[in-house]
Amino acid sequence: MAVSSLAVHLDSITKRFPGVVANDDVDLRVEEGSVHALLGENGAGKTTLMNVLYGLYEPTEGVVRLDGEAMDFDSPRDAIDAGVGMIHQHFMLVDPMTVTENVVLGNEPRKWGGLAVDRLASRKAVVDLAEKYGFDVDPDAAIEDISVGEQQRVEILKALYRGADVLILDEPTAVLTPQEVEELFAVFEELTSQGKTIIFISHKLDEAMNAADDITVLRDGVNVGTVDANATNREELAELMVGREVLLDVDKPSVSTGSSALSVSELTVRDERGVVAVDGVSFDVREGEVFGIAGVDGNGQSELVEAVTGLRTPAAGSVAFDGEDITRASRRSRIARGMAYVPEDRQERGLVMDYDLVENGLLGKQHDPAFAPNGRIDWEGTYEHVTDVIEEYDVRPPDPSASAKSLSGGNQQKFIVGREFSQDPEVVVASHPTRGVDIGSVEFIHEQLLDLRARGKAVLLVSSKLDEVQSLSDRLAVVHDGEFVDVVDPATTTEEELGLLMGGESVGTVDAAPARGDDA
Amino acid sequence: MTDDQSDAGGKDGADDQSAAGSEAAADAATTEVDDGDIPSWSESAASKIVTASAKERVFISVAAFLASVLVGSVLVYLSGLVVDCTSAGFLGSCYNPFLVYYFLFVDPFIGGFNVALVMKETVLLLFTGLSVAVAFRAGLFNIGSQGQLVLGGLATALALIFVAPLAPGGVLGTLVLVPFALLVGAVFGGLYAAIPGALKAYAEANEVITTIMLNFVATNLAFFLISTYYQDPESGSVQTVAIPEAARLKPIVPFFEGAQFSVLALLLGVGLVAGTFYVLANTAFGYDVRTSGLQAAAADYAGVDPKRLVVSSMTLSGALAGVGGAVYVMMVMARYRTGVPALGFDGITVSILAGNNPLGVIPAALLFGVMKAGSLSIDFSLGVPKQLVGVLRGLVILFVAMPEFFRLLARYTPYGPDADRAVATDGGDDDA
Repeated sequence: MAVSSLAVHLDSITKRFPGVVANDDVDLRVEEGSVHALLGENGAGKTTLMNVLYGLYEPTEGVVRLDGEAMDFDSPRDAIDAGVGMIHQHFMLVDPMTVTENVVLGNEPRKWGGLAVDRLASRKAVVDLAEKYGFDVDPDAAIEDISVGEQQRVEILKALYRGADVLILDEPTAVLTPQEVEELFAVFEELTSQGKTIIFISHKLDEAMNAADDITVLRDGVNVGTVDANATNREELAELMVGREVLLDVDKPSVSTGSSALSVSELTVRDERGVVAVDGVSFDVREGEVFGIAGVDGNGQSELVEAVTGLRTPAAGSVAFDGEDITRASRRSRIARGMAYVPEDRQERGLVMDYDLVENGLLGKQHDPAFAPNGRIDWEGTYEHVTDVIEEYDVRPPDPSASAKSLSGGNQQKFIVGREFSQDPEVVVASHPTRGVDIGSVEFIHEQLLDLRARGKAVLLVSSKLDEVQSLSDRLAVVHDGEFVDVVDPATTTEEELGLLMGGESVGTVDAAPARGDDA
Repeated sequence: MTDDQSDAGGKDGADDQSAAGSEAAADAATTEVDDGDIPSWSESAASKIVTASAKERVFISVAAFLASVLVGSVLVYLSGLVVDCTSAGFLGSCYNPFLVYYFLFVDPFIGGFNVALVMKETVLLLFTGLSVAVAFRAGLFNIGSQGQLVLGGLATALALIFVAPLAPGGVLGTLVLVPFALLVGAVFGGLYAAIPGALKAYAEANEVITTIMLNFVATNLAFFLISTYYQDPESGSVQTVAIPEAARLKPIVPFFEGAQFSVLALLLGVGLVAGTFYVLANTAFGYDVRTSGLQAAAADYAGVDPKRLVVSSMTLSGALAGVGGAVYVMMVMARYRTGVPALGFDGITVSILAGNNPLGVIPAALLFGVMKAGSLSIDFSLGVPKQLVGVLRGLVILFVAMPEFFRLLARYTPYGPDADRAVATDGGDDDA
């Protein structure tokens, strides 16, 4: 860290798109051998800036300098040749192929005059590389058989194999468990100790402070400051990011809980392949309570939520709404009873991408007499409703006639949350309600969730963001492999303990009793 | 691997990674930064071509039409060079492209008889085009409009023959028999389409296969029933006896006298177009249909029962084709005769040309009607083989049916969309 030569210097980069300035005169200096975090809200221009560095975009103005030398990248190929590697948030790996095959893909060692891939040389190259940087990966394992954390290391190996000296990681921690995040940060240290430079994009304050040496904050395409990670604090960073003071800790007033609004008993659900994804799960969500479900994605949360909301028929067990059995009730009747649902997949389920916001505002309510009396849609009423949602939830652009696909992910999410919360539901099922949403809006969505709770609604909250489920939930179930490992009091459980539970390990020290009353 | 990261619409977290690469690429093109208050880029001339509004769609269609005429003219001219004829009148070619296109597109509009011929074809295609379009909007490929039309027409003819002795004559008879016949056609066409609908919903049978097969069933069933039980004893061809005079749809307007065309049928067709458009755009059922067609998963989320929707939209689609069959029987044949023209199959092309929009079915059906009538007059008036005319018709449809090609062309002009358009910033990213 004492090294002071600049590995990367983005010199006054401006990137304009028709009608939008994504980066406005941004200056970014990254020292060689350091970890640099690029922090900002959605749409702040972080990814655009990194795409300029990676050769995907040509800057409108400004110069990219590597080791002091001005570069002119026409494509990522040029950037890779110059030693810049980028690891995207969604991995670019071929699932059935082995680690070795994936790493060398496109740059395979050849034999027989270039006619065949030299498998032995490939494997040796990968093993050597892994050894050099202390990576623990099996070169012969298929990608589909290894964990997400390992897949990420394969991506890093791939970049290193191509000779990267500067590694760009786009939201690298989004898909990892807390333990895997720790491992990733250890990898960062190993890499920087061998002279590599790392830039990672994040909108999480804590991980930027933990892992980075320097933090640059972008807001609305402008560099609002580069700070030393050791000399800053969360409040300062949050204020830089949002441009105003942000309430980071959720203020959760106590609410007296009522009777059980949603009761799930011995629920078993199979996934598309017929494999048991949820295995005999029971819980109650009471009025005025947020019941959280934490866990690494893919441990049965999706199937559980689908069974509760009526999108999937459970194999066994029952679901009751206000004491009435709705296990077999249609999705439409559940909507009519007042079950709001923020789906985890906003682009597949939550929105029709080709509809404008007015039409999307009707989604799920097209048979509601308030919106479609006698089966005839009241478009004007819908339009007004949608205008209100857009305004209240700060959906940008504030244009009801904009198509859903023209909105950024965060704004799509805000629109769905607004639509679902604004219909005075009895029970809210929120699956990853703040996924991809910027910090200012996260705060607002959390307030709305707690407001629903305060009004005596029952909230089932599923999220892979630990801080979110921890701060909002009254009781928190940790799911692993389709079963509840434990139901804990989030106030008295540490993140480390939750992390272990998410990995499927029971922790003896955690009080297993629910906060109030008993489980069904 | 050069695409930006945007929200990959994957299913479960674990599956996301594999699919994300390609999906992100596709999504990136449609995602926009959210920094600006108003998506001002969308107002640029460029993106208007891509998100073509009605006006531009018309413009593109006209351009496509002219391009097809240009290519076809060259083809006609060259063909005329290689055939033998007594007088190679046009620049050494036997065929004059100008005359050919004159007869194909202008002559059909001259004179009552010609116009009636155009309108007859157009009206019949309105029903089948609409039928296919409705199914398309629900995400279903109804290849079976032909069979539904055949069965609807057959049922109409037989029902009319059965009730003929009971029905009053004259205007009163028309007022009773025509609605009755349309109802019979709709019911039988609808029920016949409900079969593949139910097979898809409850037995996961692909509707493309089942509807194609049911076309054969309908045609051969009609042949069997008529030849065995309902054969007109005075005729050599396989047909029923004539339907009662009162149930025939007559030209009404003197201008069309003597043609197999009725203004009444045209009004019915246009009325159904307007009605279908209204239902799709402004009713809860129409919203369910459109949502299912665009994004089945979102329709599930919105509480649409996918099985019931498949059956109901197929039934509606079949009913429209069945009405077409009833009109065919009452307006054209005055009986049921085997060998019904391929109205249902042309309906597929009409629907696609119309962009599956009910309103678009009107110009698309008209284009078909004009070209059918025009082919006949070319046959009469010029010595151009009808196979070559068939090629010209095919070219027109080919060009008009590929607006994407013209948008692609626009991309290489200064008016094309900016390839460097604002692709997602991290705004589209998922957290997990």
